[in-house]
Amino acid sequence: MDTMTHILNGFTVCLQPINLWYTFLGCFLGTIIGVLPGIGPTATIALLIPVTYGMNPTSALIMMCGIFYGARYGGSTTAILINAPGEASSVMTTLDGYQMAKKGRGGAALAISAVGSFIAGTLGVVGLTLFALPLTSMALKFGPAEYFTLMFFSMTAVSSLAGKSPAKAVISTVLGLMIATIGIDLQSGQPRYTMGVPELQDGVGLIVAVVGLFAIAEVFFSLEEITQGMRPEIIKLQGRLWMTMEEWKRSIMPIMRGGLVGFVIGVLPGAGGTIASILSYVWEKRISKNPEEFGTGAIEGVAGPEAANNADTAGALVPLLTLGIPGGGATAILLGAFIMYGIQPGPLLFQNRPDLVWGLIDSMYVGNVMLLILNLPLIGIFVRLLYIPAALLMPLILAISTIGVYAINGNPVELYFALLFGVMGFVFRKTDIPLAPMVLSIVLGPIMEQSFRQAMTISGGNPKIFVGSTICVVLVALSIFSIFLPFILDRLKKLNQGAKAEAA
Amino acid sequence: MTDRVILACTVIVAVVYLYATTLIPSLEIGDPLGPKAFPRLLGVALLLAAAMLAREIWARRKAGTVDVPAAELFDPVITKILLCVVAWTAVYYAGFDPLGFIAATTIYLLGLMAWFNRGKWVTNFLTASLFSVGTYVLFVTLDVNLPKGILPWWG
Repeated sequence: MDTMTHILNGFTVCLQPINLWYTFLGCFLGTIIGVLPGIGPTATIALLIPVTYGMNPTSALIMMCGIFYGARYGGSTTAILINAPGEASSVMTTLDGYQMAKKGRGGAALAISAVGSFIAGTLGVVGLTLFALPLTSMALKFGPAEYFTLMFFSMTAVSSLAGKSPAKAVISTVLGLMIATIGIDLQSGQPRYTMGVPELQDGVGLIVAVVGLFAIAEVFFSLEEITQGMRPEIIKLQGRLWMTMEEWKRSIMPIMRGGLVGFVIGVLPGAGGTIASILSYVWEKRISKNPEEFGTGAIEGVAGPEAANNADTAGALVPLLTLGIPGGGATAILLGAFIMYGIQPGPLLFQNRPDLVWGLIDSMYVGNVMLLILNLPLIGIFVRLLYIPAALLMPLILAISTIGVYAINGNPVELYFALLFGVMGFVFRKTDIPLAPMVLSIVLGPIMEQSFRQAMTISGGNPKIFVGSTICVVLVALSIFSIFLPFILDRLKKLNQGAKAEAA
Repeated sequence: MTDRVILACTVIVAVVYLYATTLIPSLEIGDPLGPKAFPRLLGVALLLAAAMLAREIWARRKAGTVDVPAAELFDPVITKILLCVVAWTAVYYAGFDPLGFIAATTIYLLGLMAWFNRGKWVTNFLTASLFSVGTYVLFVTLDVNLPKGILPWWG
């Protein structure tokens, strides 16, 4: 069966009424959590996994992906109306979006953000459709050594680009891998680091860790802000929710460029939507005839970054689906969801379950159309969510987190583990230790150790196997480059500052 | 100051982890590396990460950048409030099975809202009770098993 047939079959899967419903539900929930502070897509997907155990995996995954890309649409609303990004990737939208809202052009900023997200999101899915198969045919050549070096590269890339301090990112990565070693070792049957606690014999649950690190920690953060009396000012939405012809003309090219940047950055591990939107913003400002307008309400500063962070979600699914390797926190939990349904993403998935893969990919075309509809005429309803007092909302999120964790095994001990992770996540965030590398390591840790041990068994204990093929050598070289990247960037920054000082 | 505490904690975790690795019983039949090899690498990697952090602290001090004091990051009053939230959440978890989801969650939410949404008793009571009953019904419908506790007629 050729690729085109698979793609068309994918549409027959995703257009089934039940899957259309789950696409809508995912997009709707994604938009809500994108608008609401306190809970992000990573934690929401984790919370929903136990609820979806009884569901058909295709429908469940379609819904979870809907949450992942839907949150990016919703994230811009808070960025524009209250100057606080609903999602980290919308941070650049605050710069010009909020200024536009203050000038009474909030409607235009929200409209261009929705239209730009739709165009770039759809372009991203086209990219995913085109690049998925060539990558899977390459991935079929991967053995344990290649997989180990690929996961090592993924982790070094995430560590090098996460947070302000590379050392803290590495600490987070290694701690995540250490957490992943807790439990019965599957190859030897020996318990490791269980400290006699029976609940630890199966290891630390991914959902427990993610809910703690992302949902509970985020609630603690918001409760701290409530105690400090920090209340954002919400700018009232004025005028028509559409842009002028002039604004549209100014936005179309930034959307296309943002879509390209977002997709490419999304494919690379580590970078993610935030970096994609920053790069798009910098690009637009650099080529603009009026760079001084940026930061004062330039529509290009909303169109480009919003397009970039939406195309990034489709790009991020390329390595996840074709290689089984996530590039960040949200895709890591998606991989966790796949594994929990007994499905291993990777090249064989395209051969064994084309209905699932192409149904999922094609659902993103449909989802983007739904999100455009949800985010244009219905934006007024979502904006009302901003008026829910955080003092009421945060306790409810803690209760929902409790359900999510309890639903896995019905074991109250796991609730305490989640609380412990919550405290840890709060302290980590306060001290600038990034959390995404830790989640990635908790998910990839067991697979990484297995590949490491399989490769060493094949080679009879000779570590040269990790540089024994061209793919391995390239991946090791890329990993070394990733490790040194923060130092190179730091040096370039200093040289640039020196040159500017000399010029002045 | 904060980063130096992180550095000290990292070294302690690495040493404890490496020590705990030596306690894993080894059965290396059919697996030349055994269950200890990968963890040993991780222990060493964490020590290297600590060395990287030490270098960063040293470079910052050389450049004259001041580290953020811990008291500034963790305001003592707010920290006490958050510790109370953690303790209250732990009490909620302890009462989750015996009291059941609806009763435990309503009491827990009322406690939190009484502090953070002070004075608005009616709103707080309605939100806490309706949320507890509503989510219970929703999740039971979705086949998620939640404890009935002292309200056995639910579900």
